[in-house]
Amino acid sequence: MAVSPMATNVGAGGRTVSRGALSASRPVGSGSSTVRQRKPATTSSTAARTTASTGGMWRFYTDDSPGIKVGPLPVLVGSLVFIATVFMLHIWGKYTRS
Amino acid sequence: MGFKFLEMIRPFCAVLPEIQKPERKIQFKEKVLWTAITLFIFLVCCQIPLFGIMSSDSADPFYWIRVILASNRGTLMELGISPVVTSSLIMQLLAGAKLLDVGDSPKERALFNGAQKLFGLVITLGQAIVYVMTGMYGEPAELGAGICLLIIIQLFVSGLIVLLLDELLQKGYGLGSGISLFIATNICETIVWKAFSPATVNTGRGTEFEGALIALFHLLATRQDKVRALREAFYRQNLPNLTNLLATVLIFGIVIYFQGFRVDLPIKSARYRGQYSSYPIKLFYTSNIPIILQSALVSNLYILSQILDVKFHGNFLVSLLGVWADHGQGGPGRASYPIGGLCYYMSPPESLGHIVENPFHAVVYVIFMLGSCAFFSKTWIDVSGSSAKDVAKQLKEQQMVMRGHREKSMIHELNRYIPTAAAFGGLCIGALSVLADFMGAIGSGTGILLAVTIIYQYFEIFVKEQSEVGGGMSTLLF
Repeated sequence: MAVSPMATNVGAGGRTVSRGALSASRPVGSGSSTVRQRKPATTSSTAARTTASTGGMWRFYTDDSPGIKVGPLPVLVGSLVFIATVFMLHIWGKYTRS
Repeated sequence: MGFKFLEMIRPFCAVLPEIQKPERKIQFKEKVLWTAITLFIFLVCCQIPLFGIMSSDSADPFYWIRVILASNRGTLMELGISPVVTSSLIMQLLAGAKLLDVGDSPKERALFNGAQKLFGLVITLGQAIVYVMTGMYGEPAELGAGICLLIIIQLFVSGLIVLLLDELLQKGYGLGSGISLFIATNICETIVWKAFSPATVNTGRGTEFEGALIALFHLLATRQDKVRALREAFYRQNLPNLTNLLATVLIFGIVIYFQGFRVDLPIKSARYRGQYSSYPIKLFYTSNIPIILQSALVSNLYILSQILDVKFHGNFLVSLLGVWADHGQGGPGRASYPIGGLCYYMSPPESLGHIVENPFHAVVYVIFMLGSCAFFSKTWIDVSGSSAKDVAKQLKEQQMVMRGHREKSMIHELNRYIPTAAAFGGLCIGALSVLADFMGAIGSGTGILLAVTIIYQYFEIFVKEQSEVGGGMSTLLF
């Protein structure tokens, strides 16, 4: 038990590195082989914890399903445009009715 | 046969919009920003009235579940998240009953997700048409075909937006999931409103404030008899009172306390010696999922029963499903109450007095809640990929093994814990929700339970993100 929090800390550090810049970490880490050997193992232990803790969250779309790919920005713009359209409709409705 | 069905859907799934996975790691601040934007869009949609509706003061069939489904009457968020949740409920029941064969490979799972999304959109369209055609916004003939179509389009597009925003958050641009975020926001809004609402209501004995806390001070200040004023503030019947508020806070505390319950299974690395860790199996293994699914089931049944009751009042079979009465004066917004049939027994007793009056109702309600929650919890683990088999596979991929177990016996060992945790956790969640209902917590038992579990999940996410960033709490906001 006493080991696990420490392992988590180390793993957390390793995770950010491995995720953020996987390719970059290799040339840097090549200096010391012991560090490099340890990293994958600790990473996996944190990953195990991570997946366990999100088990209850409402998650479906973690895998890629087939479909037309859109970025987040088009969604944002699209919804704003939609809201604006409804607004316009309301204003237009006010004028035509009176 | 079931598997072919999913294959059949594949070409339709190809035209669905799908959020791209982020190519780089999204910074924490950026995630918070996206989450805030999502929430903002949702809240705006909750306020903008639908264009073209004539009236929305017919009895509100959704009144009881609006809080949970994050929907607001007469606005763009009329449907809220109900299509998404309903589609997932149905797909899950199909998968649980083995009518639909969901494979184990990521590709098959992805197809299942796609099918679910497609189904969600179909349900959105269906619900929109039903709403407009049943005359919820005025008689379709009076509205005219053009306006009817416009309303349907508005409802459909906002449904699509909810779907995409939810996916946006889940794919890693934001924190948590849209569904959870919207539910929690709506419930918290209700609780805050019921506690601090400055709206006044004219009861028989002068005006009273709606908000429980405000009413307390108001009553203490204006009434001569302070003891009676206090009692009034604590026990008034038709408006939110202080006991409701205290019950809400109490339930909040209990749920947070139970969240900490878990079994830590010791695991170690198969490759490197001395790498020990633990795999936690929480009591609330599936968290609030059973409640979401359960309320989706009940809400759809309510709607169906109410529509049938209006159309064929007096029919034996329809009465068996549910008989509805229009109370009207009870509170803000006109709500219909089930007074008989199956729906009556699925609805919570209104107060402690009712339990004494009709203990059979209370017993059936409790059994139904506990049973359905446990059932949904158990089916969920298979569909969502958190069953013993999946966990064992994950651990194997990460080259971790359980201490004192070989790979083969690992599944067996996990199987001892996970289904039990899921079923028992679901049972506990159901029991807590019943408890909250009996104590009269604000925003209904299921609502408050959802809110607490979601807030706790967000707290966990924050902590996790923080430990990854490596900063203190101060970087949380700035």
